[in-house]
Amino acid sequence: MSHSRHSRREFLRNLGCVACGGTAAALLPQLRMLGTALASTSVSSAYQALVCVYLYGGNDAWNMLVPFDNTRYNTYASSRSGVYDATNNPGGLGLALPTGSQVALQKIVDGNDPSSATNQYFLHPAMPEMTQLFNQGRLAFVVNTGSLVKPITMADYNTSSANYPAQLFSHADQTNQWQQAYAEQGITLGWGGQCGDVLKSGNPNAQLSPCISIAGANRYEVGVGTIPYQLSSGGLTNLSGMCNTPPCSASTNARDTALQTLLGETYANDFAGGYAQIFQRGRNLFNLLDTNLAGTTLNTMFPSGNSLAAQLQTVAKMIKLSMAQNYATRQIYYVNLGSFDLHSGMMSGTNDHAALLTSLSQALNAFWTCMGPGDVNAQNNVTLFTMSEFARTLQSNGSGSDHGWGTVQMALGGAVKGGKLYSNGGGPITGFPDQALNAPNNFPRGQMIPGIGVEQYAATLAQWMGVTSPSDLATIFPNLANFGMTHLGFV
Amino acid sequence: MQTASKAIAYVFALGFAPLAGASVHDQIFKGRFDIPTDQPASVNAAARFLTQATFGPTQADIAYLMAQGYGEWIDEQLSKPATIGEPTIEAIVNAGAKVTNTIRLNRFFWQAVYAPDQLRQRMAYALSQIFVVSDQASGIGNNYMVPLSQYQDMLAESAFLPYAQVLLNATWHPMMGRYLNAFHNVKATIVGGVQTTSPDENYAREVMQLFSIGLIERNKDFSPVLQGGQPVPTYDQNVITQTAKVFTGFTWSDAPTNPPGFYGGGLTFAGEYDPMACWGTELFPASSNQMRHDITVKAVLGGAMIAANQTCAQDVTDELAIIATHPNVAPFIARQLIQRFVESNPSPAYIQRMATVFDKPGNDLGDVIKAILTDPEAMNPPPPCGSANCDGYGKLREPVLRLTELWRAFNAQAPAPDPYGQIAMIGNGGFLGNFGQAPLESPTVFNFYLPDYQQPGTFADNGLYSPELQITNESTTYTTADTYYGFTAKAYQGMPTPPTDRPLIDLSALAANAANPAAIVATVNADLFYGSMSAATQSALTTMLASQIAVTNMTPQEEAWSAIYVAMLSPEFAAQR
Repeated sequence: MSHSRHSRREFLRNLGCVACGGTAAALLPQLRMLGTALASTSVSSAYQALVCVYLYGGNDAWNMLVPFDNTRYNTYASSRSGVYDATNNPGGLGLALPTGSQVALQKIVDGNDPSSATNQYFLHPAMPEMTQLFNQGRLAFVVNTGSLVKPITMADYNTSSANYPAQLFSHADQTNQWQQAYAEQGITLGWGGQCGDVLKSGNPNAQLSPCISIAGANRYEVGVGTIPYQLSSGGLTNLSGMCNTPPCSASTNARDTALQTLLGETYANDFAGGYAQIFQRGRNLFNLLDTNLAGTTLNTMFPSGNSLAAQLQTVAKMIKLSMAQNYATRQIYYVNLGSFDLHSGMMSGTNDHAALLTSLSQALNAFWTCMGPGDVNAQNNVTLFTMSEFARTLQSNGSGSDHGWGTVQMALGGAVKGGKLYSNGGGPITGFPDQALNAPNNFPRGQMIPGIGVEQYAATLAQWMGVTSPSDLATIFPNLANFGMTHLGFV
Repeated sequence: MQTASKAIAYVFALGFAPLAGASVHDQIFKGRFDIPTDQPASVNAAARFLTQATFGPTQADIAYLMAQGYGEWIDEQLSKPATIGEPTIEAIVNAGAKVTNTIRLNRFFWQAVYAPDQLRQRMAYALSQIFVVSDQASGIGNNYMVPLSQYQDMLAESAFLPYAQVLLNATWHPMMGRYLNAFHNVKATIVGGVQTTSPDENYAREVMQLFSIGLIERNKDFSPVLQGGQPVPTYDQNVITQTAKVFTGFTWSDAPTNPPGFYGGGLTFAGEYDPMACWGTELFPASSNQMRHDITVKAVLGGAMIAANQTCAQDVTDELAIIATHPNVAPFIARQLIQRFVESNPSPAYIQRMATVFDKPGNDLGDVIKAILTDPEAMNPPPPCGSANCDGYGKLREPVLRLTELWRAFNAQAPAPDPYGQIAMIGNGGFLGNFGQAPLESPTVFNFYLPDYQQPGTFADNGLYSPELQITNESTTYTTADTYYGFTAKAYQGMPTPPTDRPLIDLSALAANAANPAAIVATVNADLFYGSMSAATQSALTTMLASQIAVTNMTPQEEAWSAIYVAMLSPEFAAQR
């Protein structure tokens, strides 16, 4: 067996050359200008956290945020194969949300658009909490964003496959591209983890990773020297048969000592070593956090039977504890909600899109409340945002929708400049997209070419966290320089 | 028991001649008492092989393998009929048990531990991680637990068939239909000459991305084909949209056709698990609005064309033949099988050897798994090396397999059947959350872990893959340990008030040596580690037992389960090399 070993340094150097040869070098002056513009931004020592809510499977965002005016609504309804008819087509032949009094309550107005002809939308009726937060200026939408290598039009798309990312429409690949904020294959680094690389030196407790996942392994939180700490939404559990809280019996101590010895050994085999490292880290962090986390209580009630809410409740506890114990000044959290891949059953059934958006809206609202002055008191310190690999075809497949491209994301927090839609990335495609099938920049089934690259969305959030140096931004977001705007202004 | 009618149903649906055990596994020249030429070099070598090939070595299987040799043992396993679960599960449900997937999981683990067709069961489990369906989908859930159990049986019955036939069996199975939406998928809707809906693309995409060829063109050793230094995509979105048309018109096998009720059927368990019906031109004329299959011409993978106006069955047969003959299939599937049985990072030469076996005309997956298990790279681990992380050989043992290995090593005794006839195995359950995996419970079609997952640090730095480490984290190391505790310290024969919801392990051999820590450790080393335990690990366990012996009122049983439990948590047990 010969497994050739390349160092990460070598790997990164190769990677860097790819980026340099292509685009970054040519546009570095522009990045440098950006740095000057942001030079006044200094990394504050006050606590800040980013909370990523990943909507796995591809959220059908075009049913989350819908044009309200008649003209655009009619286009929307037609492209969605008609208005959903629960009586005659419960499966969901037509996917458009019906209008009516329920929808009128969800009406919102885009504060970035003065024209009443185009600035009216409604949110899915399952999301009244989000409507309220938008109207309070706490929630913003970033519209028609997706994986890109540079701003393009349909003409560019048709000219060369080099103009767009590989493996569009594939869950795994598009998830990676969102979590990397870099449409490149063969990468293992995420943009959150790389922000952690830059920011963690300011964290007083070096044992606790700046990146914490309540949703298992993910690429988003992996940096060069940053590995996410993975916590369950149930918090910490004792290790059976071991000494969790001394003093313990002699027999238990004997087992505990043996395990400690075994985990502390050096292993020639990568799998034994990889396992030992994780388990050891788990024991160390258990010892650091267990008593304190158990003693951290929240005043806010989180909705029950809602897995996302349970995850966000643990995030809220960790934020409260981290602030109280001064573990960290910067933290990056990851939670997720799955089952958005609604090829069928989108409009009906116990786990339809409405049910998922209800869970999402209620969980986010509880988290926002929990961050409020009556509880954790960190609304201005915490920014929550969504990622999801793609929106979906506008056109129905008879009972649901298929994989699309450009989508709508949400950002929520006291620092968010909410009540607005952000749909201008400085490229050729701007604004809320024309939803007519085969309109200039969408495909026959209503898959949208994005107007805003993932890196623009991500870099805006990274800069809020304090990652502002041009070299850091260029390292984390190698293609950012290809885009006209490097800060979208929503936070 | 395999029922003849079910087997016939498959063959009919597939349009294939039955090729069960297409290889000739002929043993007539081998005398029973001869020493086989390929006898394992040692009991430990036999145990190591059985760790790769079964749900864990037992003393009986080790002795049998020593007597038979590898080749004969494998051939006998290839010819053993499938142990199946659905008839038992159906009987349990018919007796009035509450229908939940606990019944299915109890039966799965009972078969894993006690079925004689170990290699077939293990192969079916590996295939269930490639051809993924899951009770976590709302379209399956607890409601379709019984037909879902039959999906596992289908994989067991298909385990050694030609790949192309497994692909057909999986595609036509209604649980796959429901999981990836071919079920009730219909042709495009045309209103006033305008197409208002298109067929669902889910199965069209995943059958190629995950079950057969993957996203980019591969050489026979799995390396990417490069053009101008770039990988070459195997298909584009147009191919997906076109292929989606193939997978239209499916419903339950017993959906009534006269009068027609496309959305009816599924009235019996057989109706829920028999291969789907397709409402194409084989059932209704093209002009009928009951004809739900898209009969337009289809431009599919690699520029191939599927002609217009064919029956649905013909379209599916054509499409799956086009996919199954793509040169990617052999390296793509062989690599994943190697990952499930032997190692996470097979050498390109190993993959190429297996792909060659895979592609040899007349060969089936039985030939492939035999080649995988008898390849020098599987049989001969590289010699130990001295420094930290100098050895990327092997794999992390799946948490599920660590549990079955415990049961098989220590003669676990299953409880008596409950009043419904169910034999409880899984105790409090919750494996999916605690282990990050449970049979047919994947959170997504991407399985519990990706074949290309790279743990940050050593693996990613060195370009190595570590699939099972994707479900190993600070939380699951704890919950996995807690689960094992419940199956060791809390479940042994002779304990006061033993649980009745799980098997009880036999600690007697260890407890008999309660005064001799080294003897206890030696037994654990032989039974769980095929003798591979390092001196350091032996020392840690021996020291632990010596300390325990000194404790007042220490029982031999606590010493015994302590040795097993801590050994199961050890890094050397977690790794299989």
